[in-house]
Amino acid sequence: MSDPRKHGFFVGYLPIPPALRGFLLVICVLLISGLAGFGLALGTAQDDPGQGAFRFDYGRQTVTGVVELTPYPLLRVTIGNERIPEGHTLMLAGGGKTNVENRAIPLEGQLAQVSGVMLQRGDLDMLQLRGGADGISAAEGVAPPMGTVPLGRWQLAGEICDGKCLSGAMRPGRGLAHKACANLCLLGGVPPVFVSTQPVDGSEFLLITGPEGDHLPETAYDYVAQYVSLEGEVERRGDLLVLRMDPNTLRVLD
Amino acid sequence: MSVKYVPVQWNPNKYLYDAVMLTGVGLFLYVFLYAAPGLLSHERPINQQIHNARAFGACAFVMLTVILCIGPLARLDTRFLPLLYNRRHFGVMTVFVALTHAGYVVDWYFAFSRWNKFEAVLFANTSYGQLAGFPFEAFGIFALFTLILLAVTSHDFWLKFLGPPLWKALHYMIYPAYLSLVAHVSLGILLDQQNHVFTAIFAGCAGTVGGLHLLAALKERRIDRTRSGGKGGWVHVCDVSEMRDGFAKVKLLASGERVAVYLNDGALSAISNACAHQNGPLGEGRIIDCLVTCPWHGFQYDVTNGRSPAPFTEKVPTYNLRLDGTSVLVHARPNAPGTYVEPVPLPGTAPETEAMA
Repeated sequence: MSDPRKHGFFVGYLPIPPALRGFLLVICVLLISGLAGFGLALGTAQDDPGQGAFRFDYGRQTVTGVVELTPYPLLRVTIGNERIPEGHTLMLAGGGKTNVENRAIPLEGQLAQVSGVMLQRGDLDMLQLRGGADGISAAEGVAPPMGTVPLGRWQLAGEICDGKCLSGAMRPGRGLAHKACANLCLLGGVPPVFVSTQPVDGSEFLLITGPEGDHLPETAYDYVAQYVSLEGEVERRGDLLVLRMDPNTLRVLD
Repeated sequence: MSVKYVPVQWNPNKYLYDAVMLTGVGLFLYVFLYAAPGLLSHERPINQQIHNARAFGACAFVMLTVILCIGPLARLDTRFLPLLYNRRHFGVMTVFVALTHAGYVVDWYFAFSRWNKFEAVLFANTSYGQLAGFPFEAFGIFALFTLILLAVTSHDFWLKFLGPPLWKALHYMIYPAYLSLVAHVSLGILLDQQNHVFTAIFAGCAGTVGGLHLLAALKERRIDRTRSGGKGGWVHVCDVSEMRDGFAKVKLLASGERVAVYLNDGALSAISNACAHQNGPLGEGRIIDCLVTCPWHGFQYDVTNGRSPAPFTEKVPTYNLRLDGTSVLVHARPNAPGTYVEPVPLPGTAPETEAMA
């Protein structure tokens, strides 16, 4: 009978054969150090999510302006503050993946005071409103007329995103890995934003709507987070561009 | 081996195995979660929840890669067999890590809406008709549920309950699960990632799993060529001079069955090469204390009747043997599991018991 231990034959419930101990020690060290090494390599291989963020450091922001519906609610600021100047156009969103349309519709075209926390990514920003009338309520005074400047039909290349995650609610808040989250935000009525590869009239971010100034059409959801080209009418509302997309022109670009 | 079912039959080797595994997994997660952020030169950090989801997701992928490498490594070099012994614990741990990943994803990306977060996973992205933007979450869900199923049924109770063929077939689903995981990563973060280190590691892991399986399969095929041959009743196995005491020669029969012919105390006996536990290769085991011992999990059988020693109840088929000169011949028809077959003494030798008598 051969001695199995002499041949390095391992049996789980018996002591480890001496002939195998050195080899298994090396494997243990390699496994532990290898897993730690993979953790380091993969952990440090993550891309920069960009500078977008909730600006809790700004504190609660309260400004007054004229409510517009695109149909996504906007505020054309008439009385600003240190962070949000007069003349700025703010996109408005609710908490999480919700919108504030129900609260904004009764105030369309009127002066309103809005209050909440800012999200900011470069030139793009959005205000997440507080709940109920604390977030948006009618303000005293007569709403001044707000102009809209048509900029004509444009063909653009870029990405359809949800404006809130893109602005910094999530870091990273765009890209294909984020598509389902973006879709869920858009289904919730969060303002969608088109990120153009080339600036349009000085801005690379455009609020994007349906062709008739309605919500983003259902067909556009398949194209969210992809590199696409599309055509549509662009108009300027204050310092914000609004793109009324033509869904028939949506194309995926390589 | 067991006569009753307990969650884990602990022994020192299992403690050691789990300690090494948990240390490695703990270090992976610690380094990813706490050391890596300090080395990233990002203006603002990645959301903690996303960072956590990535850490646990990456860890589960690497763990599954390691698990799938163990099998072919053990086929290529038997010194890796100890890693196979307690692989079930590695798999179960992987499920917990993968579940944590899924938890972070669901609680972050699919929360905060007016819909149920689990339902939202299913309907938020339905672009199944395209590659870019494909709902890669579906692949992750399939892989996760498969891993859970395999972990739940990994215990020997289920092996006995389902029977080795069905259990084995079920657990081969680890391969579709891994492929699904590869698709999950490929159609998800890989399409977004700009850093090529991630791509290289991911491709390296998947390539290693594929490459090792290919090498192991080629080796098996090469060995099977030398083992195969012979049709009909009596099949030539080898010359008696090739037999070593305590070791076996394996013969591949025309039926596809493998026979392990052992030399034990100067006499030949033949049993099925497939262990009743998980179809481990009994012919690559050894005789310890007069019992054939499976190299995978140490299940033991009396070489003369294919029965595990009492109180254990496992049985494997036996085969009839005879000598034709110095040629060892085995009959291709197996006996019922547990059937005693008189050992065939080699010429010029006598079994030890007879010699002692």
